[in-house]
Amino acid sequence: MAFIEVENLSKTYTLRKKRAGHFTREKSQVKALDAMCFQVEKGEILGYIGPNGAGKSTTVKLLCGILTPESGSARVNGLIPWKDRKIHARQIGVVFGQRSQLWWDVPVIDSYQLLRDIYRVPEAQFTARLQELTGALGLAELLNTPLRLLSLGQRMRAELGGSLLHSPKLLFLDEPTIGLDAVSKLQLRDFLLHENQAHGTTIMLTTHDMEDISALCRRVLVLGHGKKLFDGALPDLLAKYDTQRVITLRYADGRGLPELPDHCLVSQDGQDHRIVYSPDHLPTAQLMAALQTAGPIQELTVQSQSIDHLIAAMYREMDL
Amino acid sequence: MKAYLSTFVMRWKMELQYRGAVIGGVVCQIFFGLILVSLYGALYRSKPQNLPLEAVASYVWLQQAFFRMLLSTDGELLDKIRTGGIAYELCRPIHLYGFYYARMLAQKLLGSLLRAAPMLAVALLLPRGMGLMAPVSLAALTVSVLGLLLGLLCVCALENITMALTMRTLDHRGVMAMLNLLMMFLAGNILPLTLFPDSWQRVITLLPYAQLLDTPIRIYTGQYALAQAPQALLIQLVWIILLVALGEWLWARHQKRLIIQGG
Repeated sequence: MAFIEVENLSKTYTLRKKRAGHFTREKSQVKALDAMCFQVEKGEILGYIGPNGAGKSTTVKLLCGILTPESGSARVNGLIPWKDRKIHARQIGVVFGQRSQLWWDVPVIDSYQLLRDIYRVPEAQFTARLQELTGALGLAELLNTPLRLLSLGQRMRAELGGSLLHSPKLLFLDEPTIGLDAVSKLQLRDFLLHENQAHGTTIMLTTHDMEDISALCRRVLVLGHGKKLFDGALPDLLAKYDTQRVITLRYADGRGLPELPDHCLVSQDGQDHRIVYSPDHLPTAQLMAALQTAGPIQELTVQSQSIDHLIAAMYREMDL
Repeated sequence: MKAYLSTFVMRWKMELQYRGAVIGGVVCQIFFGLILVSLYGALYRSKPQNLPLEAVASYVWLQQAFFRMLLSTDGELLDKIRTGGIAYELCRPIHLYGFYYARMLAQKLLGSLLRAAPMLAVALLLPRGMGLMAPVSLAALTVSVLGLLLGLLCVCALENITMALTMRTLDHRGVMAMLNLLMMFLAGNILPLTLFPDSWQRVITLLPYAQLLDTPIRIYTGQYALAQAPQALLIQLVWIILLVALGEWLWARHQKRLIIQGG
C-alpha cells in the first residue's frame, strides 16, 4: 500500500454571490476538487502544481484533516485524515507559506516549547532535534527573538523549524518560498533535500516557483479546475511543451538580418536580433547557415524558453 | 493535559507583555468607579433605598475591578478565524475547544488580576459609602473567591460559544457587540443587579450572566448569607456544565462544515 492514497476525492464549495433580489442571494457551486486520484510512495518529493484556484490548497487541507470531502477517500499511512484527525496530526507537519503558526509577541523558542508539549515530544528527543534544526536552518540567533522582529526569510526558517520539531513522516509545504530572496530560497531547498534524504520524510510541495520544483521534485502532478492533468517526471512534462528555441545574435558590423526561412519570429533591440523558432519545423543547422552566410557574427546564444514560459504555455493549452 | 497547561502559560506570558494597557485600564476603571459611586451617593441622599449604600459602592468597585474578566477578547483568535490562520490549529493533535479555553482562561485571569489588585487597594482606602467595604466575614471572603473562580470558568465557556458563532459568521463584530451588551447589562456591570426590582432579581440571578460576578459579589457583601452560598455555587456549577457542553457541541458541529478563508 502506498503512503498516500487518494481515490476519487471531491470537494465542492458553495459560494454566495451578490444579491439577486432584496432578500435572496444567488448561490453557486464551485468544484474545487473533482474525483482526484493519485498515490505517493514513502520518501518521495511530489511537486503539486497548477494555476491559482486549481484545488491545490484544498487537497492539502483535506490530507491534513482540516476539511471533510463530500465524496471519495484518502488514506495517509493507513489513516483517514478527517476521521482520525488527532492521531493523524502527529505524523504530519505543515507549512502554510502565507500564514504563521508561531506566536507573534513571544520569542521563537517559547513557541517551540509549546509545540513540544502539544506533540508530546520527549525532552531528550526535543533537545537533539532542536540542535539539528538550529544547525541546518541557521536558527541560533533567532531563537530568543520575538517573531515580530524577524525578517520574512528568518521567519520562514523559524516556521519550517516549528513544523519539523516533532519529526513528522509527511511534510506539506504550501508555497514555502513565497517572498523569499535568492539566498534564502537556496538555503531552504538544500535543507528540504537534506531532511528528505536523512529522515526519509515524504514531502508534498505546492508552489508557483518552478525553480523550487525543478530543484526538489522528480515527480510533478499538474492540477487544473480540480482535475489531474499530468502525473509524471518534470522533464517529460517539459518535453511536451519545450518546442521552441531562442537565438540572440549581433553582427560585427551591426547589419540587419538576412532573409530568413518561414516559421521564424523576429524582433530587434538595438543591434541585437532575437529569433524565436521551432527546431521541429526549421532545423537549427539550416537557420545557422542562413545567418552565417549573411556576414561575420560577433555574438550568438541559443536558449530554450524559461520554465515559467513553458508552464504558462502548458496552462494555455490545457485551457486553464 | 500538558499541552493545555503550556498554552495557558504561553498566553499568560503574552498578557504580561501588555503592561501599559494595564495602567490605562486601571485609570479608566477607577474613573468610572468614582463617577458611579458619586452618582449612587447623590441618589441615596435624595431617596434612601433598602440596600445599604456601602454594599452598592462595593458592588460597583468589584464590578469595575474585574471588568477585564467580562469584557476581554483574544483578538488573535478572532483574527485566526477571520483570515484562516486557524488551519494551523486544526493540524495539531489537540482538542480545539480545550486549546481555546486555556487561552481565554489565562487572558481573563491574569488580565483581571493585574487590574483588580491596584484598584481594590485604592477602593479600600476611600471613605465609607464611597469605597469598598470589608467582607462580611472571613468565611464569606473565602467562599466569594471560590465563587469568583467559578464565575471565571463560566465566562470562558460563554466566550467560547461566541467564538463558535464567529466561526459561522466569520466576522465577530455583529455577534459580539450584541452579546457583550447583553452581558454587561445582565451581569450587573451597568446597573448593580441588587438594585433591580425584587421580582426581576428572582429571574435575573438564575441566568448565566449573573453567575459571573454578581454571585461572588453578593456573597462578599452579605446579600447572600453563608447558608445560601452552597445553593448559589451549585447554580454556577450547573451553568458551567451546560455552557461547556453547548460550546463543545457548537465547535464540533462548526468544525465539520468549516471553510478555511483566504486560499
